[in-house]
Parts: sequence; structure tokens; C-alpha cells
Amino acid sequence: MTTKTRYFVIVSLLVMFVGLGTGLVAYYVGFPANAFFNRSTPEELRYLPGNAGLVAYADVREIMASDLRQRLRQAFGAEVQDNSRRQFQDLTGINFETDIERIVACFDPGGTTGGNGLVIARGVFDAVKIEALMREHGAQVQDYKGKRLIVAPHFAENDFDKFGNNSNEPRPSPTSPPTTLALTFVEPGLVAFGSSSLVQRAIDLHIGGGESAATNDELVSHVRDLEGGNAWVVGRLDVLKGTAKLPEVVANQLPPITWFGLRGHIDGGFQARVTAEAKDDESANMLRDVVRGFLALAKLQTSAKPEFQHFVQSLQLGGTGKTVSLSLDVPAQVFDAIGAAIPKPPAPSQTPQ
Amino acid sequence: MTKPGVLSSAVRVFDFSFGQMLWSRRSVFLGLLVGAPMAIALAVRLVAAARGLPVINGAGLSGATLFGILIWLLFVRFIVPVLGVFYGTSLIADEVDDKTITYLFTRPVPRSAVLLGKYFSYLACVVLLVLPSVVVMYFLVVPIGSRIGDAFPSLVEDLAMLIVGLAAYGAVFAFVGAQLKRPLIIGLVFAFGWENTVLAIPGYLKRLSVAYYLQALVPHAMPQDSSAMSVFLQVFQELPTVATSLICLTGITIVALWLAGRAVETREYVLEQ
Repeated sequence: MTTKTRYFVIVSLLVMFVGLGTGLVAYYVGFPANAFFNRSTPEELRYLPGNAGLVAYADVREIMASDLRQRLRQAFGAEVQDNSRRQFQDLTGINFETDIERIVACFDPGGTTGGNGLVIARGVFDAVKIEALMREHGAQVQDYKGKRLIVAPHFAENDFDKFGNNSNEPRPSPTSPPTTLALTFVEPGLVAFGSSSLVQRAIDLHIGGGESAATNDELVSHVRDLEGGNAWVVGRLDVLKGTAKLPEVVANQLPPITWFGLRGHIDGGFQARVTAEAKDDESANMLRDVVRGFLALAKLQTSAKPEFQHFVQSLQLGGTGKTVSLSLDVPAQVFDAIGAAIPKPPAPSQTPQ
Repeated sequence: MTKPGVLSSAVRVFDFSFGQMLWSRRSVFLGLLVGAPMAIALAVRLVAAARGLPVINGAGLSGATLFGILIWLLFVRFIVPVLGVFYGTSLIADEVDDKTITYLFTRPVPRSAVLLGKYFSYLACVVLLVLPSVVVMYFLVVPIGSRIGDAFPSLVEDLAMLIVGLAAYGAVFAFVGAQLKRPLIIGLVFAFGWENTVLAIPGYLKRLSVAYYLQALVPHAMPQDSSAMSVFLQVFQELPTVATSLICLTGITIVALWLAGRAVETREYVLEQ
């Protein structure tokens, strides 16, 4: 063997051994993915509790600027939506369209207070205005570890009526525990809003770190699988099912799913992928069979409706092992068709001048 | 004087033919072949750093998924069979074409040891080039949205699968090269005609291909699209177990090498003047 050949063999083996050695260390020690590259999870996850049963994300700016949203505005009445946005702004001081860049929200089933949700929003906020408006609605300012915590004992029902909720749905019982809500600016341009205990926990995590959603490897792994969409939800159905206190008959009918995820990408249309992780391979196969049946039914039902053909054809069942996934692509035409099918409110009569 | 054994003779043949094979003109082609995946991986990494990976049906690609796709499309479907065809068929055919086979066959070594030594040279040559290429590709692509450690077991399985695949294809085409005239054309027809065709045909015919067993060893899901062919393949896709695949591929390798050795021992190579 010549020297040149010997060098080649040494270099080749070296590349392999260094690569395999690094991989092996990463496998056993848990080499962080972001050691080389980091764009997979939103940084706001570090303010959410590690045992959150449901985590959601939305790139509000991208969604608001999307063609689909413009179409929906036209289809469902831009005026009504503008009114709702204005009312929300009057109540909170936040313009949903322009102020918020992205939001990350969670539901913590282990919460002890009546409300156990937390929303972390990043954007440009008028802190003074928001605080003033909340105080107008009975909120009080407290100090928590050096942060201004604006705590509202509960939102009055009248506050929500401002959104135009005229439905006849039963209102929460007055005997139910009041929802203690709080808001704080964790850092400039980052607001945490939700149940007091979770907002305080977010401040704790900001100051001292600790176990958060960002350190929950299982959750992070599922979030990484959802990368690519501008909105997603991931959660544990088994945990949520336990919290929901569903009637036994209903609970028994739910499929044996542990993790579930929904990744959506909103632009000209809406592309999404729903994934579910079943308890075992057998459950996953059963779930696939059920979904396959629904897909066949949907194809049968829409065979005479060309506007829905593309949507139905885009439904693709996938997944291996314990994972079941369903991809779908809803083109803008489908939303146009739905918009056209909804009866328009009568135009306001012109009063003679 | 006793005639040296097949294995010790094969080691001697390996010793001189390894360097010869590594620095031959054919290796330029090999270099391009294994360099292309690294170049693609680098391009993907740069694009992902700038704009992120594309979204397909609302699903963003992750580095681990992309690595699986590259392994399937570049290595399993293309590079491994191509290397097997080009190198395997040339083990004896090149010596015949260069009219140098007489020098080898007049040595006091068994003829089959010449083939065996050259086969081991081929295996060492391609393994030492292909495997580092896969490792480099892994570290370029997988960190995009995935953990290096999470996908590491699949990398080890990929490397093992590639070695087994290169060994099996090399042995099959070594036999083709030793037994038949115009082995390159026949090899290409087998690798890209026969194998692809039988995989799409329902029934047992696919068991007469190397790809059928090799596919079962790939730890990644087979990439699918919505084309009619893909749906068709999906419907008729049935894969043997890993154990069955390993046994069959080992069997194919041993039988093909034995047949190739027998062909070299018994066949009379006529050199064109």
C-alpha cells in the first residue's frame, strides 16, 4: 500500500470515527440540536410551564397579512370584523392586527386557579395605555419580584358583552370560582397574560429559569415535528381528557391518543397536517381505518361538487407505527364557495338626505 | 512447493489492487458520485439557514426527514446500484479488456483468489468513500430542526445497510462481469430495468431482486408523492423482515461470489488481438 493510499484510508476512517463518536455522545448525553442550528422552537416556550397539556403558536403578523385573511374579510364582512377589533382594542389597548407579532399560548391542566391558561405575546405594546385600561376595569397593580403585575380579580360579564356576544348560551354560574387574571411585561415587547399563578410562574422562569416547556424534551420534540407552519397546536389528549371530566360514555368513545398536533400554514389557502400519536400500533391502525372511512365518505359526498374536489383530493392519510397523520390543502376557492353560501345580512337602508 | 490458499492469495491481490482501484480514472467518477450528496446537503443547509426548509402540505421538512429522503433517493436507489454495476462488472472485465488477465492467471494462485481479492478491494474502496460522505451529509442536514442524538441510531443503521448493499450488489455484478460478455450493459439493465420493474409488479417476482431486500433495511420511511406510480407502489409494497433481508442479502453475496469464483476458474477468457 502506497503512502498516498494509506493517508486516504486514515482520513476516511477519521471522518467516520469522529462523526460516529460525536453522534454517539449526542445520543447518550443529549447533544442540543441548536449547537449547530437553531430555528426550530419559539423562544417564548421558556416562559410556559413544563407540564402544559396544550401549547399553541401563531405568527399573527404573517397570518394577518395573508391573502386568505383578506379573502375572509371580504367574504364574512369586513365591517363586523373591524368593529370587533376596535372593541378589543378599546378594552385592552392592543390592536390585534398591527401590535402583535406572534403569540404562544398554553393550557396547564395542573393549574389550581379557576383559569389555567397563559398567553405570551410578542409585539409592540403601549404599556401605559394597557395598564390604564385594565385599571379602568378594576385591575390592581401589584409588585411581584420587581415586575409590575396588573391583576384583575375577574373580568366582569359586561366586559365580554362589549364583544357583541348576544347568544343565548348559559352564562357561567355565579358560584364558580372567580377567574383571577394577570398581565405583565416580562421584557420590552413581550407581554404575558393569563391566570395569575401562570403569569407569576412566567416571571419566575424569566428571572431564575427552571423547568419549562422549553426543557420538556418530549414536548419540544413534538413542537419540532410541527416546524414549517405559521400556526400550530400540540398537546396531550390523555392529560386534557382527564382534566375535562367528560362523561364516561363520551370518554370511552375517544380514540386512545396520547399526543396530537396540528400544523397549519395560512397564505393563499390553508395547508395543514394533523398528527396523532396513538397508544400502540394496533390503536394507530384502528384510527387509520376510521379516518380512511371518513375520507371515502367525503370523496363520495363531494363527487358532484367540483369546488371541493381539490380539497378532498388533498386529504392524505399517512404515518407509520404509532403515528397517524392527515394532510390537507384547502385552496382559496373553497373559502370563496363557503363565503358565497352564507346568506349576507341585508344592506342598511339608505335614508333620504 | 505447496500452492498458497485462496484467502492468503486474495489478501495479496487485495494489497496491490486496492491502491490501483482507488487512484484509477474510474475513481474520479466515484468521487463525483459521493461528492454530489455532500454538495446537495451543503446547499440545503445554506438555503435552510437563509429561508428555512420548504413547507409541503402544511408540513415543514425537518433535517432528519430530509436526510432519510436523500438516503432513499440518492444512495439506495442510485449510488449503491451504480457503484455495484461500474465496479463489480469491471473486476475481471477490465483485466480482459487491458489484456493483463494473463499475468494474473499465470501466477501460482487460485484464479478465484484474484476475483476475491479484487472484490475486497472494491468493497474497501467504496466503503471508505461512501460512508464518510453519508456521515458528512448527516451532520450538515440533520441539525436543521432535529436533534443529532435522536437520529443517530438511524445513521448507524444506514451505514450498516449501505455496507450490506454495496457488498451484495458488488458480488452480483462481479459474477455478471466474470460470466458474461458486455457485462456493463447487462448490469445497467438489471439495476435500473429489472429491479425497478419487478418491485412494481405484485407477486413473488420482486424476491428475485437485491433492492427488495435492501429496502427493508432502510430505517427511514419511503418517500411518497401523489403520482399514480407512487400510489401503485404503496399499495403493493410489502417488505420482508430485517432478519429475512439480512439472511437473503448475505446468501446472495456468498452465492454470487461463489458463482463468480467458479466462472473465473472454469471460463476461458479469449483476448482479442
